[in-house]
Amino acid sequence: MGDKKKWFQLDLGLNKKQVVAGSCGCGKTSGGCGSHAPEPPKNEHTISAEEFDTAVEQELMEETMVGQTRKDGFQQVFDVKMDRRTAFRKLTASLLVGAGAVHTSCSVTAGEEAKEKAQIDWEEQFKGNYKLMTQEEKQATVDRLVRSYQLRKKENIKMSATDASKDVLFGYAFNISKCQGYMDCVSACVEENNQDRNSQMQYIRIHEMKDGEGFKFNEADDNYYHEVPAEGHFYMGTQCFHCDNPPCVNVCPVQATWREEDGLVVVDYDWCIGCRYCMAACPYDGRRFNWSKPEVPEDEINKNQHYLGNRLRKKGVMEKCTFCVQRSRAGKDPACVEACPTGARIFGNLLDPDSTIRWVLENKQVFRLKEDLGTEPKFWYFMD
Amino acid sequence: MLRIVFSLVILCGMFSCKHKEGEYHSLKEKIVEEGKHYQDPGISSEAYMGDIKTVEITEGVRTFLIPERKSQIKSYACTECHSKSVEQLQKESWEQKDLWEHKAHWDIKVNHANENAMNCATCHNNNDMDNLHSLTGNTIDFNQSYQLCAQCHSAQFEDWKGGAHGKNIGGWAKPRAAMTCVNCHNPHEPQIASKWPARFNTEKVKERK
Repeated sequence: MGDKKKWFQLDLGLNKKQVVAGSCGCGKTSGGCGSHAPEPPKNEHTISAEEFDTAVEQELMEETMVGQTRKDGFQQVFDVKMDRRTAFRKLTASLLVGAGAVHTSCSVTAGEEAKEKAQIDWEEQFKGNYKLMTQEEKQATVDRLVRSYQLRKKENIKMSATDASKDVLFGYAFNISKCQGYMDCVSACVEENNQDRNSQMQYIRIHEMKDGEGFKFNEADDNYYHEVPAEGHFYMGTQCFHCDNPPCVNVCPVQATWREEDGLVVVDYDWCIGCRYCMAACPYDGRRFNWSKPEVPEDEINKNQHYLGNRLRKKGVMEKCTFCVQRSRAGKDPACVEACPTGARIFGNLLDPDSTIRWVLENKQVFRLKEDLGTEPKFWYFMD
Repeated sequence: MLRIVFSLVILCGMFSCKHKEGEYHSLKEKIVEEGKHYQDPGISSEAYMGDIKTVEITEGVRTFLIPERKSQIKSYACTECHSKSVEQLQKESWEQKDLWEHKAHWDIKVNHANENAMNCATCHNNNDMDNLHSLTGNTIDFNQSYQLCAQCHSAQFEDWKGGAHGKNIGGWAKPRAAMTCVNCHNPHEPQIASKWPARFNTEKVKERK
């Protein structure tokens, strides 16, 4: 697996490889550092500054000759024609992380744990886009995140990298005559998906609307607090609709969000740059942005996580409903479906002709929001 | 000349079609086409049903699980007390001045349709308290009490069978398990009471000021 890495690996001597005097991982060529880069074996990406230079030049040479293969990881960034100055400029931001890592590794006082943390930080910094990773690479990044959490918080979490299953396309139906506006779904969602408690981020909105006036979002109230159901009102919920033709995906400049094979529209929080184009492009107000560092009390953290789902986010990235990918891919209903006491929420596999969701689509009068936009949401509304 | 124009038009038509091979014109088409060769993905929801005991029922073309009921009724079997007819029991307890006996089922009020349609005997059988009975006098097991509800609420029954009414248990995958009528509705007072929402977002109030 190590041989196939598509990003630089900073080896801090934890891999128990032979040590050869000479260049150091931090870029210094002369003494006093204490950390030594091992002799690079074949295909090993642990390289020094000089080796990087030659590598860049070699890449530039090869660029013109070799036909395009699948680009991944650091190739996405470096496998383009650029002069050395541009290459180094692009590296600057990452070097800050690298400097931290190297500083720790060079420190005599830093323990094994600190070094391991630095190693993980380095590798996480230079990993590729999750969408393009092989199954092994996905597992490796998940393992690193679990280990990192263990080192920092002294707690164990379970994180999965389960891929979409064949013959599964998730769909959702919402019965507007059954919803009573209890908001149990909202609570369950916040707890399941580790949403920021300070800003009270919520993926689901329940809109209280007047009977007989249809959907008027500008007149609806999505933050009521009185006994429900209120006389003369009906309730409808919105969240990410997991469009089959998602406009948010098209506008992402870094492809940090995409539609998975089972129809889930997901975000790689580590690839997102926080430009919020997707938030602007979504016609359904389905996306949320972390304006501050999301915080969840330790004892409230849901430790059953998925890389694309409810793992802890950071400041400045987008997030949204994933139909609880950590649950749905394992065969469980999303938290909102499970929490709803009215049975207004129906979830299932659209490709299974015997599924309840298919029965609803085929036997009830269903409709979707803003159908004319051609976004093809996989979220239908219906009435009794 | 005309031939060249025609072939150009045809060529343009071929290249301007935006859809790549394997793509569909609509989601509906995609569902229909990809569902044609559907094979069970082998995902199971069985582990998420919890400790509830279930019974399998088949209604029409649908077979699914519903929670077992009898073990959930605190004082089942009813014949442990109802060894005689209700009238007889009331008379005896009155004679013995045992007022406590009068208070059995004190918490049950029937608030279900009107008195013309519903009283105790619409569902309960004085001569066979361990079972329910239909309008025509057929015996209905407590575990299949939905059959009783379906006598009047046929539209809800159709929706429930299909999955549009009622709550799913566990997960979306097989085996399908659903709550039965009496898991949500108290059969004596089926109307669900109003309550307060689970939460209120104070940050949203601040943001919108």
